[in-house]
Amino acid sequence: MITIDSFSYTYPYANLPALQDINLRIEPGEAVLIRGASGSGKTTLLYCLNGLIPHVFAGSSCGSVSLNGFTPLEKPLREIARTVGTVFQNPESQIFMMRVEDDVAFGCENLCLPREEIISRRNEALHFMGLWDMRHKETFKLSGGYKQRLAVSSIYAMQPDVFLFDEPTTDMDGESRKDFFKIIKGLKDKGKTVILVEHQYEDYLPLMDRVVNMEDGKIAENTASAKTFLPTREAAVLSSSVISMQQVCFGYDRKINVLDNIDIMIGKGEIVAFCGDNGSGKTTLLKIMSGLLQPNQGEITILNIHKPALEHLVGRVGFLFQNPDEQLFAATVEKEIAFGPGCLGKKTDVERYLEIAGLKAKRLSHPQTISRGQRQILAVISIMAMEPEIIILDEPTTGLDNKTWHKLIALLYDYTDRGGTVVFSTHNERAASLAGRKIIMHKGRTINDEISG
Amino acid sequence: MKYLDRETFIHRLDPRTKILLGFMVAILIVVLKKPSELFLLFFSVLILFGILRPAKSTVKAMFIIMITALVFTMISQGFFYSLEPRTIIVTILSPDSGFLGNITGGISMYREGIIYGALQSLRLFSAMLLSAVIVMSTYPSDLLLGMESMGMPKRIGFVITVSIRFIPSLLDGARRILLAQRLRGLKVKGIRGWFRAFYRLLPPLIIDSLRNARRIALAAEVRAFTGERTKLKELTFSPRDWTFLGLSTAGMFMLILCQEILL
Repeated sequence: MITIDSFSYTYPYANLPALQDINLRIEPGEAVLIRGASGSGKTTLLYCLNGLIPHVFAGSSCGSVSLNGFTPLEKPLREIARTVGTVFQNPESQIFMMRVEDDVAFGCENLCLPREEIISRRNEALHFMGLWDMRHKETFKLSGGYKQRLAVSSIYAMQPDVFLFDEPTTDMDGESRKDFFKIIKGLKDKGKTVILVEHQYEDYLPLMDRVVNMEDGKIAENTASAKTFLPTREAAVLSSSVISMQQVCFGYDRKINVLDNIDIMIGKGEIVAFCGDNGSGKTTLLKIMSGLLQPNQGEITILNIHKPALEHLVGRVGFLFQNPDEQLFAATVEKEIAFGPGCLGKKTDVERYLEIAGLKAKRLSHPQTISRGQRQILAVISIMAMEPEIIILDEPTTGLDNKTWHKLIALLYDYTDRGGTVVFSTHNERAASLAGRKIIMHKGRTINDEISG
Repeated sequence: MKYLDRETFIHRLDPRTKILLGFMVAILIVVLKKPSELFLLFFSVLILFGILRPAKSTVKAMFIIMITALVFTMISQGFFYSLEPRTIIVTILSPDSGFLGNITGGISMYREGIIYGALQSLRLFSAMLLSAVIVMSTYPSDLLLGMESMGMPKRIGFVITVSIRFIPSLLDGARRILLAQRLRGLKVKGIRGWFRAFYRLLPPLIIDSLRNARRIALAAEVRAFTGERTKLKELTFSPRDWTFLGLSTAGMFMLILCQEILL
């Protein structure tokens, strides 16, 4: 059983406490969802349970935390790991070994268990997680969903009673999330305690015994937070098309077509969301629209250029990759905004962009030092500053909380009001519903194209 | 150069056997002087390489690298060979041909230099091919396990494992950053352009790696990593290894003895 009694915690060098007066009891076998905006203290709460606080993050605390009768301070991390296992957001950084089966055994090896014990636990975990058939595979060749499954397996093999999940499915598409649902259900059926932190939690609600809301480091009353107001938009009129594709086919090799006969017209001023699972061809389609890839077949016209190459579209079509951190290279926030226009020899009003990004106070900060949400906004603003006619974003919602996403979409609406066009891909249906038009893709085809009012 | 998933007898050898073989070849490379014996050494390593049945593209790449290296070493050694006696084959600039001849002391190609270059190349190729054989026939983690059991500290072993494991994602990251730069209008042309792109590549790449390192460290902590651990896989020396080691040691001494006696 987990008991937290009037617990407060402040990170080293921080002025404000990250957690304030937390009181929480979690019974064995319970499944609890913790929700709240970024910075509300969800992750910090998990760190208190798995011992990273106080063993890795010092800081100051008062009150008490008790796990199955001991406090995290009493035992070293290695001992706590036998009771509490943690799965983080990014599977990439939780895999240590080159082969699947070696990685599943990694944690058990660290527990210094006898060899036979490790082998039996490893094999059980491989079977339980459905990884048995790929046990000899190289870990970096797994898909995102399977990598996360592997990260759970390696924790599972350590046989903790409590599983903590810190936004485990943020990077996943609908299909993988369904699979992950089954994994969590399996753990619950085995009598494990599950504590889940997740932004897109709706799918998991049926499994959860309880929902804990967090706000500014406190556990809030069970009231729904006020929804961010967003103006409803009328569907843009298809005035003049900026992107037109006819019977476009594309494959990375000759055998498999990733895109199969795509016909799309996108008009000036539209905001279009492409939805679909991983492998449905969303990203490939966006890359073709931005000139990064050329179709094998079919006709494509972008901004009145027939079959454009990348050189024709640089500056006119802005493209944003999934991870904003890989797209911020300047020394300060204001230089970042000026970078693109500078390369193109355009003048730009940095002040105005700082203003609309809400980053005036951070203008001299290094772009990599501002918060995750701010970095995403900055990456988008830096592209907007180039004044492209189309902005294409690949999975812009990944890792963003609702508040930041609402802010971002408001910026994009503002941009379309000034004559721009926006295309983005997402596997988050709710994020897609804020776009004026939603196109669903499946196996390289568009299967549904609806304009929402 | 990558691990080849094959079932040859070299694959089945203990990693330590292969590391020891590496040491033996290193000794031979230094000790052997006669062309015929160096050639014999090269040929034996070549046979090992052949047993692995490497892909055609690998063989082709190796061949091109070796030929180029061979030609360059032979020519450069041919010109710069300074030991006596030396026999001139061609003279490009004679020592008494005015100013240039005077300051360079003449430029000629020497027969002994060419032979010396060829021998040096044979040494280099033997080492190169043997490293290829080891890497292609041993799974990286097994190779590290071998090194660890021969005395390399475990923590260093872990660091190397993790770095190998993250090379593919690091390369992907670098590729995406460079592309993002181009999309923001950065023109990568000429040496200056490349330098600029590289200069802007490093900060995001390094910062992202540091962030990643932090995440990895936390993930290792919750997996109870302290450095002290049970090794699931244990290396065992089989009769095959003993036989192979015995034969290679015998071979090594025979080569050395032959050289010393027959000289």
